[in-house]
Amino acid sequence: MRRRAVGAAAGAIACLALAATGWGHGDEARDQPPPTRADFTPPAAGSYTLQAIMRAPAGTVVDLDGRDRRLAELTTGKITLLSFVYTRCSDAWGCPLAYRVFDAVAAAVERSPELRSRVRLVTLSFDPRHDTPAVMRQYAGEQAARGIDWRFLTTRSERALAPLLEGFGQDVRIPAAAGPAAAGPLTHLLKVFLIDPRGVVREIYSTAYLYPEVVVADIETLRLERAGRATTP
Amino acid sequence: MTIFPRWLVLLVVCAALVLSAPLAGAPALADETCNSPYMANLIKGQEDYVYVWTLGKAGLGDGSDKLVTLDVNPGSPRYGTVIHKVSVGGRGEAHHMGFTDDRRFLWAGGLDDSRIVVFDVGTDPAKPRIVKRITDMPKRTGYVGPHTFYALPGRMLVQGLSNARDKGGVTGMALYSNKGDLITTYAMPTADGGDGYGYDIAINPQKNALLTSSFTGWTNYMMSLGKLVQDAEAMKRFGGTMVVWDLKAMKPGKVLPVPGAPLEIRWSLKDGDNWAITATALTSKLWLVRPAAGGEWEAREVATIGDPAKIPLPVDISIRNDGTGLWVNTFMDGKTRYFDLANPEQPRQTYEKVTGKQVNMISQSWDGTRVYISSSLLANWDKSGADDEQFVRAFKWDGKELTPAFEVDFYKEKLGRAHHMKFGTRATRAAYPAAPLASTR
Repeated sequence: MRRRAVGAAAGAIACLALAATGWGHGDEARDQPPPTRADFTPPAAGSYTLQAIMRAPAGTVVDLDGRDRRLAELTTGKITLLSFVYTRCSDAWGCPLAYRVFDAVAAAVERSPELRSRVRLVTLSFDPRHDTPAVMRQYAGEQAARGIDWRFLTTRSERALAPLLEGFGQDVRIPAAAGPAAAGPLTHLLKVFLIDPRGVVREIYSTAYLYPEVVVADIETLRLERAGRATTP
Repeated sequence: MTIFPRWLVLLVVCAALVLSAPLAGAPALADETCNSPYMANLIKGQEDYVYVWTLGKAGLGDGSDKLVTLDVNPGSPRYGTVIHKVSVGGRGEAHHMGFTDDRRFLWAGGLDDSRIVVFDVGTDPAKPRIVKRITDMPKRTGYVGPHTFYALPGRMLVQGLSNARDKGGVTGMALYSNKGDLITTYAMPTADGGDGYGYDIAINPQKNALLTSSFTGWTNYMMSLGKLVQDAEAMKRFGGTMVVWDLKAMKPGKVLPVPGAPLEIRWSLKDGDNWAITATALTSKLWLVRPAAGGEWEAREVATIGDPAKIPLPVDISIRNDGTGLWVNTFMDGKTRYFDLANPEQPRQTYEKVTGKQVNMISQSWDGTRVYISSSLLANWDKSGADDEQFVRAFKWDGKELTPAFEVDFYKEKLGRAHHMKFGTRATRAAYPAAPLASTR
């Protein structure tokens, strides 16, 4: 697995990404890295249906070059895997877990001729005060230049971010006694969204169920659905 | 759907006895150790609030179902008192609640009117407010009696108890987005031994396993108890199965025979454990669900709760966070029992105490040192006269004795019948106050 470039910076400030307390894992277990593989064999791709949960919201984001982009351009046309992160997060069960899973999914997509041109990964910051395009470029490291479509995005302001958080149902909180959000850790429930080419969210993963092999099987299920070989909801 | 003739005989014989004092078998689902594994921000320290989903009682206060907020932080000047209440208007047999995965919203259901009310508990946890009402569940899903509210990532899985066609026990689950939009439904299996009944939901994501249990339909749970126990045909209409579902595919798998209406399901939260436990209301037994030697799921009776011949009626259980102990409340005798689960194959009762004239729900703090008990089962099944106490009682537990901490008398406060309890905290606030918190329309 490739290492991201900003590990040191990310580790500087504790993240309270209280990603759904993993199944069977108390606080002591969170000192350990999360499991890398599911403890079960996922059902075969295409043998099940991913439900249509909701439409991905509209809004404006900023790419690594500082250009405004309509989010819809980056959540339609391909199968998209999207995660909210903030680069200061260092909880192994939070944003770093999302990064690690994305990295593993990217490797699987790269290896698959059927998926390579059909899948997009999106890493979107919910910390616009800190995560400027320059910070996101550093966070992306070599990933942005990889042979697959992996976008690293942020927003211009909390005002621009708000409809995206609201639309996806992504919470971001801070300790009640904390100061301004940018100065301290952010508490959030880690969520990763799988979006079909029409822009419909078809699966949502949190820590307790975020395994690369499960995500890849779901991506493959959506591909088979598009090909008419799997059931649509 | 079968029930044991022995039981039937027993119940009929006891009918006269229970005409003035209810039977049970219903509802519960509670506390911090029993929340969905997908839920964030478990309260592992001191809880600040207990939310109580309360059945309205005609002639008492406004008579409406309501969400009552108790201050339970010993450091607060308002400790042990009612600090807020939100009436929903009317009585619909308020019953169970469940948080969304991010703990910002609390969904609460009515077993009679099948309405779901969504409360925002994230903006101001001390003052929940109604942000959405779902009133078309029977029309849209065919199911009635929303019972268990179980958080999935970004979604809420709702277990019905009954159906709109004949209001019997054959039912299903409805999946909603966190915004309250219906996504799909899943029928409880009626083939391969399935009885089609539903009650509780519990998930073990590491095993891709969703477990369901089974109770009874609207025609039974809304019937007066005295009438029900004298109706031999009605008494046959209780669930006697649990189902292991493929969670990812949401397809029913193995049906496990568990006679006597298995209710609450609790997975052990201990790392590496792979078992769940349930209590059967009608037969007063504990059943263990775990894979057998060959890997196939099986359910086995592992303990007896009280004297089944005296119909104690276990109505709620609460498991310790390390899976080593289990609280069991039995409605009829008003007892709270503790079972040592060091060997889940052989649970051993080590403590019991009468905690009320009728007791129903039991919720413990994450560390197990605080235990909360409520009183109401169902409006038509609660006891009458002096035995109809309605309360939330808080206790301290030192491993040996339950010591009273405080009590709120729900009749004296003109609130109603206290049923389901959930914990709240004021530990966090929205990072971006300008962003609307209410993702529920």
